[in-house]
Amino acid sequence: MRADRRLIDVLRDDLGSTGTKEGCSIGVCGACSVLVDGELLSACLLPAVFADGSVVVTVEGLAQGDELSPLQVAFIREGGFQCGICTPGQLIAATALLAEHRRPSDAEIREWMMGNLCRCTGYHGITRAIKAAAA
Amino acid sequence: MTYDYHEPETVAEALALLALHGEDAHLVAGATAFTLLWRQGLLRPGHVIGLRRIAALGGITSTEGGLVIGATVTHRAIERAVEVGRYCPALTRTFASVATVRVRNQATLGGNLAHADPAQDPPPMLIALGAEVVATSAAGERTIPVDELFVDVFTTSLRADEILTAVRCPALAPGTRATYLKFLPRTADDYATVSVAATLRLADDGHVADVRVALGACGPTPVRARSVEAALRGARPDARHIADAAARVDADIAPFDDVRGSATYKRDMARVWTERALTELVS
Amino acid sequence: MKLEHTALVRAPRTRVWKLVTDVPAAARCVPGVAAVTPSGTGKYKGSLLVQLGPVRLVLDGDVALTATDEAAGKASVRADAKDSRLGGTVRATMDLTLVDKGEDTELRITSDVQIAGRIGEFGQPVIQRKADQLMTQFAECLARTLA
Repeated sequence: MRADRRLIDVLRDDLGSTGTKEGCSIGVCGACSVLVDGELLSACLLPAVFADGSVVVTVEGLAQGDELSPLQVAFIREGGFQCGICTPGQLIAATALLAEHRRPSDAEIREWMMGNLCRCTGYHGITRAIKAAAA
Repeated sequence: MTYDYHEPETVAEALALLALHGEDAHLVAGATAFTLLWRQGLLRPGHVIGLRRIAALGGITSTEGGLVIGATVTHRAIERAVEVGRYCPALTRTFASVATVRVRNQATLGGNLAHADPAQDPPPMLIALGAEVVATSAAGERTIPVDELFVDVFTTSLRADEILTAVRCPALAPGTRATYLKFLPRTADDYATVSVAATLRLADDGHVADVRVALGACGPTPVRARSVEAALRGARPDARHIADAAARVDADIAPFDDVRGSATYKRDMARVWTERALTELVS
Repeated sequence: MKLEHTALVRAPRTRVWKLVTDVPAAARCVPGVAAVTPSGTGKYKGSLLVQLGPVRLVLDGDVALTATDEAAGKASVRADAKDSRLGGTVRATMDLTLVDKGEDTELRITSDVQIAGRIGEFGQPVIQRKADQLMTQFAECLARTLA
């Protein structure tokens, strides 16, 4: 593999795993959020070689077969998305949050999710969905 | 166009690669800054030397009241380390205030310092704590106070044959208080318009025994506010003295206009936030 | 991007004039300049290395003295250069004015710099700072050379 390829390039172009979106390309917007060995990272900033030998979880990996994760269900029920472009990143970031805090406070949710931008929802639906999934 | 990527497992191997490829080599740890500069087309090294597999550069060690933090420890690992919180809660908060969780999971302490962006958060706090970096070359190790590490925008006093291997934070005198304040008028994950780190210790009689103040985003490098320190040392830190001392920050900084504020605005904000930091430390 | 620089050179105007209009000699005062060679009347080829932390720009190009008026103390220099490794061009027009200040000479340089391509990614504050450093060192070197 070419050394200068980023994880986002390998996911989308080589593996056809296009659930992970590329937004700003500079690690700010959160659309490309992925879990690498459980750690939340921006796939647009990570050299793909850094993920060698690691387990990478993208939005495609959240459902168990046809069964959506409780967080995905909560995003649907609580209006956690509209256009959907940021949603894979929101779901991955929230999955990482819930792995760390089983019952995050509103402040903890806002602090953690601050790096995942959404231009539709005004964030309230996202926050509600995360709280609902944590309950 | 791409580069050859090397992942040595010891500092000696990394130094040998650096010697072999010279100016055509670039060191990376978390590779956040490098990935951006590479994609912007501003860096075109033939060889990139990744330090992430070098075990000796990882880990945080407590030492007789102080701390040694390896160069490849991520911001997030520092933020979460119990030893760091015990040493100085403000240092934990400084690392926790950098960008977002994602960036903190990737970006390292050594990379942050070697990148030498004047708006970054850890440098002012490390300067206020009196920390120093360890620079390792084939000739051995030398230490550089963080205060003397930065010489210009993106430029450090590290030599081309050196690797920044660790940061040493000294034991703090009992009663030392510390804070780090960031002025963020835009978004919480942004670089600061100005930032202020300060440590302060009061003598038993209520006078200022020790004080160190450093600012970020106020010039080509993070900068120590020696005029502010001199005005406070030995003084009784009432509101008037603090305001007078904070006003002297103007002589210590050399801000230039950037997207987060004009030089004039940064001068005003440097005074305001220096005063707030010092007020917090004596209250 | 317009840049203005002023420096006091402790030498009479005639001597400063002679040096600044001697392009190869003046170029020796610009830090990072390698070999300036004549390529025609008032024209030269040269190379300038600019280092910004890990980023190295090697600007290869042409420098021409486009106008000189010794009586008025005014000269114009045009530089066109490109960095072929990173990709990017720099075009600069510099108007130099020498003003008598007693026994010394004030050197005013007004530059209009156009930057295209990757080099522009640095953003104006950083480029301006670098240009300021270059000009300050240039003026100091002129002063030293004429001292």
